[in-house]
Amino acid sequence: MKEDEIKKVVREGYAQIARRQGSCCSSKSSCCANSTQDETSKSLGYTPRDLASIPEGANLGLGCGNPVALAALKEGEVVLDLGSGGGLDCFLAAEKVGREGKIIGVDMTPEMIDKARKNARKGEYRNVEFRLGEIENLPVADETVDVIISNCVINLSPDKKRVFEEAFRVLKPGGRIMVSDIVLLKELPEAIKNSVAAYIGCLSGAIIRDDYIETIKQASFKKVEIIEETRFPIKYMNNDPTAKAVISDSKISLKEVEEIGDSVASIKVFGTKPR
Amino acid sequence: MKKKLMDILACPIDKHYPLELHVFAEKEEIIDGMIICTKCLRWFPIREEIPEMLPDELRDRKDEISFLKKWKEKVPKNILTNGKPFNLKIKKPK
Repeated sequence: MKEDEIKKVVREGYAQIARRQGSCCSSKSSCCANSTQDETSKSLGYTPRDLASIPEGANLGLGCGNPVALAALKEGEVVLDLGSGGGLDCFLAAEKVGREGKIIGVDMTPEMIDKARKNARKGEYRNVEFRLGEIENLPVADETVDVIISNCVINLSPDKKRVFEEAFRVLKPGGRIMVSDIVLLKELPEAIKNSVAAYIGCLSGAIIRDDYIETIKQASFKKVEIIEETRFPIKYMNNDPTAKAVISDSKISLKEVEEIGDSVASIKVFGTKPR
Repeated sequence: MKKKLMDILACPIDKHYPLELHVFAEKEEIIDGMIICTKCLRWFPIREEIPEMLPDELRDRKDEISFLKKWKEKVPKNILTNGKPFNLKIKKPK
């Protein structure tokens, strides 16, 4: 797929998910997670208290790890969420930075922004703003952000180098990035690489772990470190809408899909912009 | 959108900052308006409180033209005629 094509299918795929209230249980397209959103989220590092504190509908079950928990946000900080979706991580971050702080969520899917805005209103968050934008072309001024978070989004970008360069640009000196994402431990079979469903499901856009880390370093980030790494839970794979969609999409066997479980991991990566 | 957000908004294309804000409709927050990059003359709509800061290729021509027409009286003249990526002078490409 070409870059423009990828952006288009990702946008359409996630627009559909937004319209379905985030339920991934439709036959054709899918997303990073599955089963019930809350169950999945708990396994990804969100506490029951986190999940109870946010407005209903903000958790679309699309993440792959709670970046807010590890970002050590402080009162008054400006936080930028790349690919903010339904707004879950923005709302959790909003609690941490307090009234003086500011959270900005950027997403390129109008349906997601719309949903996030409604959720913000429901939860009466005054320090959270959403804007329609592209993470490869951030509408943010240089050196204005303290912390960048992102949850299972950068794998979807056809130009990850650019995303990290943009992140570096908007961070203040001394600023930091905390990203949860899906990476590969070995290459995927060709059939899956070319599957649209697998792309939207955060599989075929993912790159090899070491390349991912190298891309972050190349963007001039320092102290780049994997804080946590989890294998993609195989038990999710079996009943996963992504897996099912990939099977029907690319005509490969369930066994082959199961093998993907060994190739995929979710990581949390930290990095800083030097002072 | 809150006015305060302008503190960190930049043009997604040339990263110019600060940008110019025009408010068309406002309650507690800005509901409709326009954000203009004075450097490249790109304009970005604020629709239903959300600033839409997308690069050109992700913008829908039809929606953008109807936005310009809707707020014709309030949009600065040079944007109506020379604004990027869409204005009311450019003929629809074949």
